[in-house]
Amino acid sequence: MFSLNKLFPVFALVAISFLPVAALAADTGHYGIGTTATAKEIAGWDIDVRPDGKGLPKGEGSVAQGEPMYEAKCASCHGSFGEGEDRWPPLAGGEGSLTEDRPEKTVGSYWPYASTLWDYINRAMPFTAPQSLTPHEVYAISAYVLYLNDLVEDDFVLTQSNLASVKMPNVDNFYIDNRPDTNNKRCMKDCKDPSKIVIIKSLSGITPDQNEDSAEAAAEKPKLSESAIAGKATYTTSCLVCHGSGVAGAPTLDDKESWNKRLEQGVDTVVKHAIKGFMGESGMMPPKGGNLSLSDQQVKDAVQYMLEAQ
Amino acid sequence: MSESKKPESSKEYLAGLASNVPSSSRRDFLKKGVKFSTGLAAAAVTGGSLATNNLPPNIPSWTKSLGTGVVSTPYGVPSKFEANTIRRTVEWLTAEKISSISMSPIQELKGIITPNGLVFERYHAGAITVNPEEHRLMIHGLVDNPLIFTMDDLMRFPSESVINFLECPANGGMEWRGPQMEALQFTHGMISCCEWTGVKLSTLLEEVGVQTKGKWILAEGADGAGMSRSIPMDKALDDALIVYAQNGEMLRPEQGYPVRLFNPGWEGNTSVKWLRRLEIGDKPWHHREETSKYTDLMPDGRSRRFSYEQEANSVITSPCPENPWGQKGSYEIEGLAWSGRGKIKHVDVSIDGGVTWRPARLKGLVLSKALTRFSLPFKWDGSPLLLQSRSVDDTGYVQPTLTQLRDIRGTNSIYHKNSIHTWQLQSNGKIKNVQLK
Repeated sequence: MFSLNKLFPVFALVAISFLPVAALAADTGHYGIGTTATAKEIAGWDIDVRPDGKGLPKGEGSVAQGEPMYEAKCASCHGSFGEGEDRWPPLAGGEGSLTEDRPEKTVGSYWPYASTLWDYINRAMPFTAPQSLTPHEVYAISAYVLYLNDLVEDDFVLTQSNLASVKMPNVDNFYIDNRPDTNNKRCMKDCKDPSKIVIIKSLSGITPDQNEDSAEAAAEKPKLSESAIAGKATYTTSCLVCHGSGVAGAPTLDDKESWNKRLEQGVDTVVKHAIKGFMGESGMMPPKGGNLSLSDQQVKDAVQYMLEAQ
Repeated sequence: MSESKKPESSKEYLAGLASNVPSSSRRDFLKKGVKFSTGLAAAAVTGGSLATNNLPPNIPSWTKSLGTGVVSTPYGVPSKFEANTIRRTVEWLTAEKISSISMSPIQELKGIITPNGLVFERYHAGAITVNPEEHRLMIHGLVDNPLIFTMDDLMRFPSESVINFLECPANGGMEWRGPQMEALQFTHGMISCCEWTGVKLSTLLEEVGVQTKGKWILAEGADGAGMSRSIPMDKALDDALIVYAQNGEMLRPEQGYPVRLFNPGWEGNTSVKWLRRLEIGDKPWHHREETSKYTDLMPDGRSRRFSYEQEANSVITSPCPENPWGQKGSYEIEGLAWSGRGKIKHVDVSIDGGVTWRPARLKGLVLSKALTRFSLPFKWDGSPLLLQSRSVDDTGYVQPTLTQLRDIRGTNSIYHKNSIHTWQLQSNGKIKNVQLK
C-alpha cells in the first residue's frame, strides 16, 4: 500500500501533463513553434506609448532643459522656432489654418495627442540617430516642442504622470473613416452635357526628366580612395540628410566653392569640425552630424567621401 | 494622314519632354542623344532609318554568331534595351531620398504582376540591411503566451500565397488641385502587384492565444522610423499575412526583408516592413503615421482617421504620355483597374470625356484586391479624344469623378484620390494629362 500510495500520484501527474497538451494541439491548432518571450526581452522592445500614458517610462523633463537639447539635435531641420527648414516638417504654428487654402498641419495645429509627440521622438528622432535619446531627453524635448506651440508655460515640467493630461487643441476634430462617401452611377450614355466640358491643362516644366542613364553617368566618375569608399555608407545614412539638400547651411556635394573655402583651413580642421561640431558664419555642424554613435574614423571617412565625390 | 508618319517611339516622346525640363537636364539629354546616334538607338533619336543589315532579307548578325552561356548572369537581369523600364521619383516631393517614395513604371509593364526590382519604394528612414538570422518577430501584450519567432520558426508554419496589389494612399495625391504630371508613372505609379507568400497572421495569433480584451494590434518595424500602425483585430483575423516572399523569392530589402506585415487592399503604410513586433491591446495607439500623417483633412477642418481601404480605381496605361499613338488605325486601349474592397466587376471606357461609355473587356486573371487588366480594341480616325476609364467593384462601388470627390473632400486631403483620370489624345497622337470641369 505504501509503495502504491507513493507511486500513484506520480503516475497521475504524468497523465495530466501529457493529455492536455495533446488536446490543445488537436483543438486550437497550436503548432508549438516559437520561444516564450521573457519579461526582460519584452521590456527592451516594448517602446510604444498610448494617449492614456500607457507605456511611458519613469522620468521628466522641463521646457528649460529641452531648449538646448532641441537647439543641438532638432533645430537644424525643424528650425529654431519649429518653423521647419527647407522641406523638413514645421512643428509649430498654423493655428486655425486647417480650413484655409493652404493648411499648416503642425504639432500644435493638428496633432490630437501629446503622447504621439513623445512616442515619435523616442522611436524615430533625431532623423540621423533614431532611438538614441534617453527618456529624460525625450520628456524635455517634448516639453519644449509643446512650449513652441504655446501649449504649456515656460516653467512647465513634462512627466510620466502629467503627459496624458496635456490637451491638444485639435483632439476633437478626428473621426473614423466613413467612406464610401461618393455615389457615382454607372451611366452609359448622355451622362453629361458635352458643351459644358472645360479642360484644365497641367503646369509645364515640373515633370521630372525620364531619360535617365545612371549607369553611364556613374562610370564617368573618377575612382574613390579606400577611405572615401568606406565613408560612403556613413555619408548616406548620417550626412546626406543635410549635405544632400543644403539644410542648416551645410555645403552640398556640388557646392565646390563652399568646400574650397573650408579646405583653406586644411582637411584636418574640416574633419575636426565634423567630429567636434562647429558654428560657422554660414551654417552649423552638430558634432558627428548629431549621430554620436559614429566613430571618429567613420566621420573622417565620410568627410573624405564628400571631398572626393564632388 | 501622311504615310511617312510613324508611331512615335518612347525615345522620341522623351525628346519632346526634354524641351519642358530645365536646361541642364536638356543638355544632358542632347549629349546622350549624340552618343546614342553612334549606336543601335540612332534611328530612335534621329527619326531616321535603322541599319538594315539585320532586317529581311538579310540574316541578322545574332543568328550568325553564338550567344552567352548559362550562368553568365547567375541572377538574370533585363535586356539592355529595356534600360528605360526603371523606378523613378519626383525629387521635389520630399526633403531627401531616405524618407521618400519612388514609382513603378506601370506604363511599361504587362499583365498584372510587378517584377520585384520594379515594385515602388516607400521609406521613412531608408531601406535597412537586416541579417535574417538576427531578426526576431515578437508577439506580446494581451496574450496568454507571448512568443518570439525566428525566421526559421515563421517558415515552419503552413504558408499561404496571394496575389494582391500594394498601393501608397498618396498615389495620385499630387493632382488634387490640378493636373501636374505629364507621365503615367508619376500620376499613378505608387502601385505594384505581387504574389505574396507567408503565414496568416491569424495563425500566429492562435499560437499566442489572444485574450478577449485584445481588439487592436500595434505593428512595428525594425527600421530607424520604428514604423508603427494600429491594426484592428478584424483585419488581422481576416486576411492579414506575415509575408517573407514576393513573386517566388525572398522579399527584397526594399520590401522589408526578411519579413513584413501585408494587409490586402489597405493603404500600403499599414503593411509595416521589417516587422519586429506585434503588440495586442484594447485600444489603438494613435501614433504619428495614423494622426499627423495618413489622415484625411476635410474642407470643414476635421479629419478622417483609420482610412485604411484603397477604393476602386483605374487608369488607361496605353495610350498615356509615355505611350503615345501614331497614325490613325487600330489600337488597343488598355489599362489597369483595382479595388481594395474586392474584385473588379466592370471597367467602362469613354472617349468623349465621360458623355458616353462603353464596357471594356477584363482580361487575364480577375482577382480580389489585385491589379486587373482591361482592354478595348479601338479604330482611331485621328481626331482628338478625351480618354477616361471607370471601374466598378463587386460591392457595387463606382469609381467617382474628380468633381464628385472634390465636392466632398476639397483639395487638401492628400490621400485616397481615386477619381476617374483623363488623358487628352491630340490629333498628332500625343497624350496630355488634363482634368475636366
